[in-house]
Amino acid sequence: MTTEENSRNEVEISIEDLDVTFHDNSGNEVRALEGVSLDIRKGEFISLVGPSGCGKTTLLRTIADLQKPTDGMIHVAGRLPREERLMQKFGIVFQQPVLFDWRTVQKNVELPLELMYYSRKDRHQRAKDMLEMVGLSDFADSYPSQLSGGMQQRVNIARAFAIRPEILLMDEPFSALDEFTKEKLHEDLLRMWRQTNKTVIFVTHNIQEAVFLSDRICVLSPHPGRLSAIVDVTLNRPRTAEMKYTPEFNSLVEKVRNSFEGGSI
Amino acid sequence: MTTVLYPVLFGILILVLWQTKTLHAILHTDTFTLPLPGRINAIIADNFPTILGNTIVTVRVAILGLLIGSAAGYLIAVLVVIFPTLGQGALAVTSVFTAIPIVALAPVMNNWTKDVSGVVSVRSAVSKIIVVALVCMANMSINAYRGLTEVKPFSEDLMKVLAAKPVKMFTKLRIPNSVPYIFTALKVGVPSSIITTIVSEYFAEYLMGIGRQIKENILMAQYAAAWAYIVTACVIGIALYALLMVVQALVMRNRKAR
Amino acid sequence: MKKIVKTRWFSILFWVVILAAVWEAAAFHVAATKRNPENILPHLYQIIAAAFSTQKVNQSMTATQLVLSSAATTVFRAALGFAIGVASGFVLALLMNLSGIIEKIAFPYLMIIQMIPILGMAPIILSITGSINVSRILIAAILTFYPVATNTLAGFKSVEKEKYELMASYAAKKRSLYTKVLIPQCIPYFFTGMKISAPMAITAAILVDTLQGDGGLGCVLSQSLRHAMSISVFWLIVFFSAFLGIISWKLMGWLEVMFTPQKRHLSKKKQTDGKDVELCTKEKNRSGKSFLKAGVLQR
Repeated sequence: MTTEENSRNEVEISIEDLDVTFHDNSGNEVRALEGVSLDIRKGEFISLVGPSGCGKTTLLRTIADLQKPTDGMIHVAGRLPREERLMQKFGIVFQQPVLFDWRTVQKNVELPLELMYYSRKDRHQRAKDMLEMVGLSDFADSYPSQLSGGMQQRVNIARAFAIRPEILLMDEPFSALDEFTKEKLHEDLLRMWRQTNKTVIFVTHNIQEAVFLSDRICVLSPHPGRLSAIVDVTLNRPRTAEMKYTPEFNSLVEKVRNSFEGGSI
Repeated sequence: MTTVLYPVLFGILILVLWQTKTLHAILHTDTFTLPLPGRINAIIADNFPTILGNTIVTVRVAILGLLIGSAAGYLIAVLVVIFPTLGQGALAVTSVFTAIPIVALAPVMNNWTKDVSGVVSVRSAVSKIIVVALVCMANMSINAYRGLTEVKPFSEDLMKVLAAKPVKMFTKLRIPNSVPYIFTALKVGVPSSIITTIVSEYFAEYLMGIGRQIKENILMAQYAAAWAYIVTACVIGIALYALLMVVQALVMRNRKAR
Repeated sequence: MKKIVKTRWFSILFWVVILAAVWEAAAFHVAATKRNPENILPHLYQIIAAAFSTQKVNQSMTATQLVLSSAATTVFRAALGFAIGVASGFVLALLMNLSGIIEKIAFPYLMIIQMIPILGMAPIILSITGSINVSRILIAAILTFYPVATNTLAGFKSVEKEKYELMASYAAKKRSLYTKVLIPQCIPYFFTGMKISAPMAITAAILVDTLQGDGGLGCVLSQSLRHAMSISVFWLIVFFSAFLGIISWKLMGWLEVMFTPQKRHLSKKKQTDGKDVELCTKEKNRSGKSFLKAGVLQR
């Protein structure tokens, strides 16, 4: 076993018997997650898949310390999520582009770097590189309102990568985009992931997307949210768009679909 | 629970400070200029019929002005939707009326309404109503226009596909859509109509009305009486606002709050 | 030609001309039927003539000089009160956003404040403070305060949950959260509040002027109403105070563009890049909306 494989097998995030219960706006108790145990390896691309209400977003938010666990343990690199968050190890991308209207695209990408006290020069260079990576160099001085939805989401991804996070958390980042943009961004994301080799946790309800991107797929079931299966994606890397038409791909999709409790969604 | 408790406690604190004259010490004033709450209460109780008479004059002007102005504003908004090209300018010109100081409008309107009636109370009321209406009109037209045009995406297209006639477009889509916006306008309109009425009364010919009473009592250095009218004005404002909230809750009981 | 007819400016001009025509028609009617028509409705040209007349209306000044000098006094007082009101409104909104207790205490009173006839209380405030200048500034400040506080608070509340979470994921400090997210985002709301309150501050300053001498537009206005001087001064003041109200409102709009980078960028683009028609119309719609918002957000 080489050292690289060794580090790839290292557990980055360990989740043990996690329960999350919270109250919704009308005061009802929601059991979002129940007894979830999962180990995520360093550098792994892992997807959380399931119908709405299965707690996949809650799981992601609990890892990022945006939601408190009710019971059970989460450790990220041996520390509590809160410690990891305060050490600025997380990068997060939401479903909707969260951009700051009063900042240019360039300045939006620079924002987290400002918070981390990078020098002006480093900030500028880093943001420039990131924008080049997502193909938005020409729009560095535009404002978010001048960009299309797909371009805005690319800025978000560039911003998340800019801080070189140890763990990248993505909550249905492409669900609001059209098919063409989505495919383009899939390729961008995989390329950037390969270059940086960070751990990615990717929430989606799109099975094809999960199969195409991930190393492993965690299938969650609703009411209460629990982990019902983990599917290993055996496709080779680098992934190409043609793979989507192979029998192997389709059988993986089939496998994930059949893992839902009750057979299908 | 604390949402109610904290403000109530704060209110009681202020009242206690006021009644114990601590407030007077802070503001460097005396009980003559800032009478104690108990005294103001007593004056309202003793002069209830007079105060009620003045209140009716003021409330009538405020409500009529609000209703006439809002109706006119809504009509303008409807016309702007029908004739958008010239309408945009009309909307802009109307909205300018909100920026015109009432102090400039009120005396002008007094002059213009001299011939309306031989009876002072009538022509004075007409003058004040016009001023209030002008102020409320602009506010309503802007909000109503948004309500009539900011319909749910594609609902306009849906109506077109169903070959809805322009009239149906209004009665089935635009007008119902504008209802919450009407209330938004009225929430601004209610307080501003009362204040506009009071300020117009300063300049009015007719001697009845809360604003006029505040002014007269102060001229005669009867501060306690003036305070009684100020408290009355606040009570009217809060009462009308509460009434509006009740009406809104009734009208919009089947809709989500905006 | 058709293009010109379709512009916003044309339709504004159209309505201004209509209003002027109605005014003139009424003025002819009044002139034919009344003994002192200039008291009721002078011709527009009479008002313009009065503005340019060199005849002195008091010992030392022409009508225009008098109006302008008293307007300067009024505007200065209004501006001072406005500045104090804006600052305190902003600070209160900030405190309310920082502390739940302060928000709970202040929120209902903020609603009640708009029911209090502050302008009606002007004489009492005068007798409490004992100084006409202090009460003028105080009243302008109180009137300014409410719309700025409520709109700024609405601006803080408009910050989406995701932005808080994004900042939390960066372990951003509270100070950074405010300087980099909350305050920049509330700027347009803050200006909406100022657009509402700027004309109010002018109204307040003029009204308090009428209570006691000491110069100012309101003071001269009540003198001319009592026919202590030429009635043309009255008409000049009416038009000039309307102009002041409108210009103060417009000024806030211009300042808003200056202080909101995204709007500044778009308006710059509009000037330099005339070909980009789509962007222009988009921007026009947007400015039209913010223009409409001015009167709306005062909940």
